[in-house]
Amino acid sequence: MGDGYQGKILRVDLTNEKITTEPLNKEWAKQFIGGKGLGARYLFEELKPGTDPLSPDNILSIWTGPLVGTLTPLTGRYVLVTKSPLTGTFLDSYAGGFFGSELKYTGFDGVIIKGKAKKLSYLWINDGKAEIRDAKNLAGKDTFKTEELVRKETGHKFTRVASIGPAGEKLGLISSVTSDITRNAARGGTGAVFGSKNLKAVAVKGSMGVEVQNIEEFTKMAKEMVLKDVVENPDHAGMITDGTPILVAMSNDAGILPTKHWRTGVFEGSKGIDSEAVKSRVLVRKKACFDCAIACGSYSKVNSGIFKGAATEGPEYETLGLCGSNCGIGNVEAVVKFVEDCDRLGLDSISAGNVVALAMDLYEKGVLTKKDTGGLDLKFGNEGAYAKMPSMIANRQAIGNVLADGAKRAAKKIGKGAEKLTVEVKGMEYPAYDPRGTIGMALAYATSDRGACHLRAWPVAADAYGSQDPWSPEGKAAICVEDQTRTSVKWSFIFCDFYSVNFPNMAKYYSAVTGVQSSEEHLRKVGRRIWNLTRAFNVREGFTRKDDTMPERMEKEPLPDGKPKGHVVPRADFEKMLSEYYKLWGWDDQGRPTKKALDEAGLGDIVKKLTYLK
Amino acid sequence: MSKGLKADLKKCTGCQLCALVCSATHVGKFDPTQSRINVEDHFPEPGEYTLNYCVHCDEHPCLEACPAEAIKLDEGLGIYVVDKDSCTACGACVEACPYHGCWLDESGTYSIKCDLCGGTPQCVEICPKGVLKR
Repeated sequence: MGDGYQGKILRVDLTNEKITTEPLNKEWAKQFIGGKGLGARYLFEELKPGTDPLSPDNILSIWTGPLVGTLTPLTGRYVLVTKSPLTGTFLDSYAGGFFGSELKYTGFDGVIIKGKAKKLSYLWINDGKAEIRDAKNLAGKDTFKTEELVRKETGHKFTRVASIGPAGEKLGLISSVTSDITRNAARGGTGAVFGSKNLKAVAVKGSMGVEVQNIEEFTKMAKEMVLKDVVENPDHAGMITDGTPILVAMSNDAGILPTKHWRTGVFEGSKGIDSEAVKSRVLVRKKACFDCAIACGSYSKVNSGIFKGAATEGPEYETLGLCGSNCGIGNVEAVVKFVEDCDRLGLDSISAGNVVALAMDLYEKGVLTKKDTGGLDLKFGNEGAYAKMPSMIANRQAIGNVLADGAKRAAKKIGKGAEKLTVEVKGMEYPAYDPRGTIGMALAYATSDRGACHLRAWPVAADAYGSQDPWSPEGKAAICVEDQTRTSVKWSFIFCDFYSVNFPNMAKYYSAVTGVQSSEEHLRKVGRRIWNLTRAFNVREGFTRKDDTMPERMEKEPLPDGKPKGHVVPRADFEKMLSEYYKLWGWDDQGRPTKKALDEAGLGDIVKKLTYLK
Repeated sequence: MSKGLKADLKKCTGCQLCALVCSATHVGKFDPTQSRINVEDHFPEPGEYTLNYCVHCDEHPCLEACPAEAIKLDEGLGIYVVDKDSCTACGACVEACPYHGCWLDESGTYSIKCDLCGGTPQCVEICPKGVLKR
């Protein structure tokens, strides 16, 4: 009889080539579950404040959770937890596919990697053991080739591989870690953290299985939940038939689809990149991640034209928005080519779409010329030039060298007013929902613990996609607090975003697997604990209200078309939401968790580590 | 007429819920390497899945190949199943099966193959896309 945990952590010191295992801190596991929460607790404890994210001292950790590898639907995931080189904040970056469950089957709940290898290496973890292997032959290889070669070298047809491409090797700050070829723990510069440690890949294969409290009862319950709470859940209908591309048309209708570098939220070419376009022009078949009954993934391939042969899993909504409409690209085939290259080269497509759009904007304004672009006519919608950009960014060629470190740094280097055009928070580029037509998203992006992110809070569901007023600041702080509490728990188990699982059902799975008596109230407290912890981490790194920002354009540049025509996010509304938000969390007006808030969240033991509370 | 599971592979999304429930049923833990059904993906090309399992064919070459007489008739279901205690893990059945329907378990101690869960195949019950049928 088990409790869902493997009970072990793998520690890897790349500098001294030392590998050890140790018991999982069970007390922390109880308080923080797994995934995001547990990773945050270990990072808070072990990372010295002010550490350079690209130095050997940064900690790179990989986590599963107690439900990962079990029959709990949509939990075959892993998270990379580290300090972000893009934002300088706490970073948790997730991927689906098959790597997470396989890591769990190797017998470890998590892996903590420190130091820097003397030469390019990869980590091979197999059934309770691990070794650091030479990766000289993988240098410069893309993630597809790396996965293929590592599978051969490790002798298993289905060794699961998380690797970086050239972008991560060259320390690009918008580089990702790619697993199962097309799944990415993408945001925040995870690839550069790998690269800075001379770590090309982590490979896992395991047959150690996962045990739960009562296998018969749990299996019976999980089988029923797969049918009733996943397959027949009306919240999942669109994800089953279409997947995330269904949002393209919804966003375009609401006028919040980022278009031509956030100039407008309505794209004349949206029909070329919407769900119908994906299904009718490139979809080969639907594809699931491990233990997922939804299967929102689309294996897509271009059948003709200049991008013939390009293939990917997706493209997903964020990619269609940021690499499609935001670059003026209304051709799903071009987006497939672009995102295949992002996956191969190891780039975050949300950030890559944003920086290419920024470059196009600057090119059209005459700030950048063909001298900067390597001769490319980098106008919005020029598919030929556009398709060359991922490679230029990953390999740091011409303007790609500047764009490789994200919009904020690129704009600073370019100057000439470029700084005023960027659309990011804390250096992380905006996802594909324009707050000028869904005001709550401005708050969601500003207060996310890893920079502008849509996976911590998603108020757009209630307003631009729902029935609430998308321009009223009322109630948006409460939505963000509620969503951040819930997702903190969700990302600790680790559930997929696309499982609309409520608190009572999360508690049901958790209790059945671990034997811990849980409830909605219990998990809400855990969620508040985790969100306070990541906030405290960021405050310890120097982040306060001054950093919870909104790009200037959201405030000063009204949207010209569609439903939000004439709208901005007024500064007063933004500040009002922010103040209300801090108050709801019980933080001070600078957004710093108070001693009282930390005590109430069960974080009394970290108070002494926060100098601002002294 | 084969008595095994039928699979409509066009509907398969490769989620492996079948393998998970199979291992839970047969070995009491979640470990796809101990499953009697094995999901193989072929990506990026040509983008297909293969399901390997014993189809309970009429010829049963495994039975003829087994030197230990470990493959025995389940009279109730009319199918041949592996008697774990008699199996010597020689691998003759694995070699003989043209369907890739049986293999040695991960520890290499015996041959494993589908036994239809005694009449109620759990993989058929859980498959969310209706790929598997009895």
